[in-house]
Amino acid sequence: MSPLIRLLAKRLGTSVIVLIGVSLLIFAIARVIPGDPARIALGPNATTEAVAALRGKLHLDAPFLTQYGYFIADLFRGDLGLSLYTNRPVMADIAQFLPATLELVIVSGIMMVAIGLPLGILSARRRGSWVDHTVRLVTLLGVSAPAFVWAVVLMLCFSYFIKIFPIAGRISDTFSIPSVTGFLLVDTLLAGDIKAFGNAVWHVILPAFALALSGIGQAARLVRSNMVETYDKPYIEMAEAYGFPEKRIARRYALRPSLIPSLTIIGLDFAAMLGSAFLVEAVYAWPGLSRYGVAVILRKDLNAIVGTVLVISAVFLIVNLIVDLLVSILNPRIRLSQRAS
Amino acid sequence: MTAPTLKIENLKLGFKNWAGVSNVLHGISLHIKKGERVALVGESGSGKSVTARIVLGMLQQLKTARISGSVEFEGINLETLKPASRHALRGTRMSMIFQDPTSSLNPVYTIFALFKEVLARAEPGITSERARQRAIEALADVAINEPERVLDSYSFQLSGGMNQRVMIAMALANNPALLLADEPGTALDVTVQAQTLKLMSELVEKHQTSVLFISHNLGVVREFADRVYVIYKGNIVEQGATAELFANPQHPYTRALLSAVPRITGGGIPDLDDDPGQFLAPLVAHPSYSEKERLA
Repeated sequence: MSPLIRLLAKRLGTSVIVLIGVSLLIFAIARVIPGDPARIALGPNATTEAVAALRGKLHLDAPFLTQYGYFIADLFRGDLGLSLYTNRPVMADIAQFLPATLELVIVSGIMMVAIGLPLGILSARRRGSWVDHTVRLVTLLGVSAPAFVWAVVLMLCFSYFIKIFPIAGRISDTFSIPSVTGFLLVDTLLAGDIKAFGNAVWHVILPAFALALSGIGQAARLVRSNMVETYDKPYIEMAEAYGFPEKRIARRYALRPSLIPSLTIIGLDFAAMLGSAFLVEAVYAWPGLSRYGVAVILRKDLNAIVGTVLVISAVFLIVNLIVDLLVSILNPRIRLSQRAS
Repeated sequence: MTAPTLKIENLKLGFKNWAGVSNVLHGISLHIKKGERVALVGESGSGKSVTARIVLGMLQQLKTARISGSVEFEGINLETLKPASRHALRGTRMSMIFQDPTSSLNPVYTIFALFKEVLARAEPGITSERARQRAIEALADVAINEPERVLDSYSFQLSGGMNQRVMIAMALANNPALLLADEPGTALDVTVQAQTLKLMSELVEKHQTSVLFISHNLGVVREFADRVYVIYKGNIVEQGATAELFANPQHPYTRALLSAVPRITGGGIPDLDDDPGQFLAPLVAHPSYSEKERLA
């Protein structure tokens, strides 16, 4: 068995354990929040009998572990229960809202890597020069304000004062795109509507950039500092002494060892975007899962809370899994130590 | 008479800092003839390693470095060369071996990947098959029994001694005219160091490679070098044929250096004749090997 597949299997195993832990925890926490979900859902005018009936339907009077048992049994049938807030299956809600958030976060992640990495590399290669100083100053700005501040600032600057980007939403109302995957950037292409695709891209740029800014700054600063450290290593001096071209030294000899510690943090940053996405979604009226999550927490919609948290944890774990794999591809030490175990 | 492989004249180096310029080399001169093995001996911070780096042109890119004097390689003044042609000498006509072989080999690439990169310096666009062939030959030269396994390994999977052999094989793979050995194997244990130095010494003899051997280890220098320059605080204080210099050290610093070697027969760490004022006494050149005479 290839060491990479073994690593993957190992990490998948731990991911399942983590998911079970998370589900137990959130299941318990959701039930500790004060307030009766049935009462909140039915309103103050509902009869005691109606509330009791709903509590019975939701198994709320059963012992905790029995409730968890019902939940797991439903989960294996692909059923996360009904949302009392939207009156629809939680699965359907998540299927509707998750793609919007993922689309935003993925575009942000791409921006983070596509802008942050090259900036960090440039800064490290020209360390000590004005280019380096400029990059470090600008990226510090990106890191020093949270995403929702950037969301408002960017919206004011580029949608209000200079009207080059739309103010809110995922796509203009004039387009109607059949939903296949829920990812507008994919669906518009599937529908063969280039104009709609362009429109969706135009809508996503500003919120994604606002969300990505601190990540871009982090990535650039991290890659720079790791690379500058690597540049002091004897193997870089060896590469210079043997006259390997500067570009090659930067890309192969300095960047690759530096990417290993950087990637782990970039992966965590990427996953953390799921959290900051909420405020950005609020600012840009982006119909995503984060907004849904907050709405259901405020209404103590048990099934929806557990479902949302579970899905977000799963995304988190998947991102970490991908990062682990990338790191082990980059780092022969990790790759080979898997073989030994 | 052919031009010496390396001729350094009145080389000065200073580093500019906030307080002005701190001088590291105060005008050193030395030469190495073809096939000659010359040692540059001195304590840490005496300016040995920076000399090698100036020859390769690696310090010139530092904004704070102030360098004057001339470095001639095979009769060509390196300062007159364009940066690109000077850079082209690195890894092809001149190569270098470092103190700690294991940390000098990049941990994320296999030995073969690094070897190929080195070979490509002399033969751009070399194919993998040919590079492998040549790497195997080079590794056989340094008495590595399983070249295939070594080539597919990473440096952290090999022992320090093995990495040192790999380093030597890489350094000599392109048949350079000049090998700069910067305290080779100081990070290794003594027996392994002796073995690898013996290998290196046989190889450079075979290939008629000139060597600048930088060391603070007098025992090793005595075994390895034809001639010795003793450097102290950026000045060459004594020079001469190895046997002559060891038999009859003239300069106070050389004497102190020689007496500082602990004896295996005991007697504790010898007392140093600690009079740094004396150490700055003028250059002592052993008559049979004076700089002018050899270069005439």
